[in-house]
Amino acid sequence: MVVYSFYIFDRHAECIYKRKYLPPGHKAPGSGLPPSRPTSSAGSEADTGNTNVSEARPPSKALSAEDDAKLIFGTVFSLRNMVRKLGGVDDNFVSYRTAHYKLHYYETPTNLKFVMVTDTKMNNLRIVLHQIYVGLYVEYVVKNPLSPVEHPGGVGVDCETFEVGLDQFVNSSLQG
Amino acid sequence: MAAAKAARVGEEVWKTRIDKVNAELVTLTYGTVVAQLCNDYDSNYVEVNKQLDKMGYNIGMRLIEDYFAKSGSQRCANFKETAEAISKIGFKIFLNITPVVSNWSPDGKQFTLTFEENPLADFVELPDDGKAQDELWFSNILTGILRGALEMVQMQIEAHFTSDVLRGDETTEMRVTLLRYMDDELPPDDE
Repeated sequence: MVVYSFYIFDRHAECIYKRKYLPPGHKAPGSGLPPSRPTSSAGSEADTGNTNVSEARPPSKALSAEDDAKLIFGTVFSLRNMVRKLGGVDDNFVSYRTAHYKLHYYETPTNLKFVMVTDTKMNNLRIVLHQIYVGLYVEYVVKNPLSPVEHPGGVGVDCETFEVGLDQFVNSSLQG
Repeated sequence: MAAAKAARVGEEVWKTRIDKVNAELVTLTYGTVVAQLCNDYDSNYVEVNKQLDKMGYNIGMRLIEDYFAKSGSQRCANFKETAEAISKIGFKIFLNITPVVSNWSPDGKQFTLTFEENPLADFVELPDDGKAQDELWFSNILTGILRGALEMVQMQIEAHFTSDVLRGDETTEMRVTLLRYMDDELPPDDE
């Protein structure tokens, strides 16, 4: 099971934290997929499945990290609104899956959005994302008295305690 | 039924998930803050009220996250439910009090919180300078906390104290008014 990336969006629709996992060159065992799986270009990848080239992603195709975050926000925002229109205001989507990845979503009542992109075999991560919110975000970011209340540009979320905690959490409970 | 459920959640969270601190520590700490503000603003109590509200606002914006993390509550369906949650979960888990919700306006957008006890104001006697009794709202930090916390769940409210036993009133009461529900913010258009 592999985690590709992780994002937090705040109530102002800004990406306040993003994290990519898997160093370039690392290859997920038993998977024919290229490891550097940016969501934005996954759709155009259908033919690389059996060629098994690992780093041969043309850089021009991949979007920048900012564009990735924007794209993901747009996707989850639209999906969530659609789901609410169909299923009522209490409804929310949990994840969606493509041939190449699975996107997990958790939204707090305060409109923080937690998004994790993983391989397709991953189980439901709603509870895991909730645990990241309760055990890491609230503890280390919100309760840090010296971090700002809001986090424009990610200020305050990029603190060491949070990042180390997140790494440990992801490594121990998801990867491997 | 919303009230009963809120009461149950509040009781449960208070019992199992809250680290307790000494009540006198809280009272004395808060009292010191107010006393310092009165000093700094030279007994300009209108300004002290404003500063307390501002401090509360910043606290509220953080506290709401802790509220959801601890209580696991969902978003409230309407303002009545919100009022019950504030009283029976919010105040319960953070101060171990449950102010009474009453006096709803006909349009359901205003209610009164009556504080039968107020840990912030134990031991307090307002200064006898002829104006503190009329101008200072000693626990005004609470109005700011509500304003900040509800803003984070997309409700713009106004809250103010209408009476305080410290001033010689019969009860301590706060009036809360829902101004509007805020819309989702959209990302800035970068096209």
